[in-house]
Formats: sequence, C-alpha cells, structure tokens
Amino acid sequence: MTQTRIAAVADIHMGEDLRGHFRPKLHGIEHRADVLLVGGDLTRHGTVAEGRVVADELRDLPIPVIAVLGNHDYHSDAEQAITSIMRDAGVTVLDDEATVMSLNGATLGVVGGKGFGGGFAGKCASEFGEPETKAFVRHTRQIADRWRQALHGLDTDHRIVLSHYSPVKDTLMGEPTEIYPFLGSYLLAEAADEEGADLIVHGHAHLGTEKGLTPGGIQVRNVAVPVIGSAYTVYCMNGA
Amino acid sequence: MDAPHYVAARVQRALAEDERTVELGIRVDVRGSQIFLRGRVSAPERRLLIEDVAREAAPGLSVHNEITLVEVREPGEEEHL
Ligand SMILES: [Fe+2]
Ligand SMILES: [Fe+2]
Repeated sequence: MTQTRIAAVADIHMGEDLRGHFRPKLHGIEHRADVLLVGGDLTRHGTVAEGRVVADELRDLPIPVIAVLGNHDYHSDAEQAITSIMRDAGVTVLDDEATVMSLNGATLGVVGGKGFGGGFAGKCASEFGEPETKAFVRHTRQIADRWRQALHGLDTDHRIVLSHYSPVKDTLMGEPTEIYPFLGSYLLAEAADEEGADLIVHGHAHLGTEKGLTPGGIQVRNVAVPVIGSAYTVYCMNGA
Repeated sequence: MDAPHYVAARVQRALAEDERTVELGIRVDVRGSQIFLRGRVSAPERRLLIEDVAREAAPGLSVHNEITLVEVREPGEEEHL
C-alpha cells in the first residue's frame, strides 16, 4: 500500500546567529518524507534579513516545502516581504488558502494560515464590548471561515491543516493555562471538524505537548522544535 | 521593594519586548530576592542574552538561569496515523 509521509516542524526561529544550523539537519529528508510542512515562527523578529536566512535554509530541498508564517514573522511588519522571499526560494507559503499536490499517486491538499488566538470553548473571548476585543475575536473567526471554505473546495485523498496557533488545548499542556487564549482558538478546530481533515499541524506553544485530538476526532500535532526536540517529525498516512 | 508579582511581570515583558531576546516562552518566577528563568532555547548565546535582559529588568536580584538548550536531534521513528 502506498503511503504519504508528512514531515513537519514549527518555530525554527532563525536569525543570523543560526544561519547554516538548520539545513544540515534536513539532509536525507527525501528518504524519510514526501513533503515538509513548516508551521510558522520561521524568524525571531520578523525582519527581511531573517527571512533571507530562512529562505536559504529551506531553498532547493528535494521535496516540496509548504509553510505558514507565525506571530514572530509579523513583528517587524515585513510579513509580505518575507512571504515573497520564501516563495522566490521555492517554498509554498499559505495565507488562508489551499494547495494541492500529488505524492506517490495520492493527492494531498493542505489548507494553511497562521491562525490566531481567542481561547477554547467555555473559556474564550467573544465578539462583544470594546472594538479592540471585537477585532481580536473577529480576526480568528474570519480566518476560520476562510479555512472552512478552502477545506470545502478540496477533493483530495488526504487533507491537512497547517497552522501556527493551536486549534485545541490538548497540545498546550505544559503552558500556563492563563495564556491559553493567546495560544490558540477552538474556532480553528471547529472549521476543520465541520469540513473534515486527516491531520492538523501547528506550533507556537513551545512548552506544550506533541499530541492532541479535536472534539471531532482529528489528530492534532504540535511540532514546535522545543516540543519535538528534532528538526522535524514524520507522520505517515495510508494511501487512498 | 516591588512585590515579586510585578517584578516577574516586568522581567517577562522585557524578555518579550527587548529586541535582543523577543522570547515569549520563558517562565519567570520570583522567590524573595531570587529570580528563576526556565524554558528552552536553541542557541547558547540566546540563553545568555535572556539572562542579561532579565538582570537589567530586575537589578539587585540574583538570577538563576535554568534555561536549557534545545538539542535538535535527528528525527526519530515516524508515526503512523
Ligand atoms: Fe515560536
Ligand atoms: Fe509563535
């Protein structure tokens, strides 16, 4: 039976001080995986210079690379420039949209974006009160709506959601509960549960835990480097 | 002297906002005149910078740097979903 092998990592937080440190760890990745997903926080300060370091680390890999940005990549208001630099290096950067590819005779659809916070059902913010609060929650809701649409349009053998923020609490275990609303939102999980997906990959929660599940039963994996302790982890999905 | 609560908050904020660190994943605990820093970073220089920034944000307190380095190993066994 054919398998689709997904390599995933997040929070590589490259800077000039780490130039050349990550790429060697990817050596031979084509023997272990068919595609590499990178779940945001590519940089530390979100500068163009750091974006170039990331692009150089990921350039010309023998397998396709799909990435989303993280909150750190927005810090210097250079997210557009970083996106362009990454795309010029051959990386598919998803901004609340889908990409489709054929791997080993099976089709894979990836819907990706950075996601956002707000918290988890029963303990979350809502679109009520001051404009600042409404804008915060609305941002997440609009992202979830775009993911729902993108997933709806996918007719592939496998479907994966690539995020920076977490869709569930499970993978935040180890983080202080007080900051959960800044680490993710259940709205992201809800969108995936409604449309269906095989896997949700995220990062952002450096102190969190690798494995979780959405209320609808979709596997969730937190692949932040400090969590997985390696350059990437590989998840295998059975063929169509 | 500031309450430990505020000292911890000030250090945490400095670590997040100081351009030298921009670290959001470090736990800061203040016990009496001691500050404990805990978390994981990917380079030894970053570990030391965090200590510097914490010391500047809380002068006079002794800083215990318990931050560990993330060892980025070769990928392990693949998981079958
Ligand atoms: Fe991060
Ligand atoms: Fe993050």
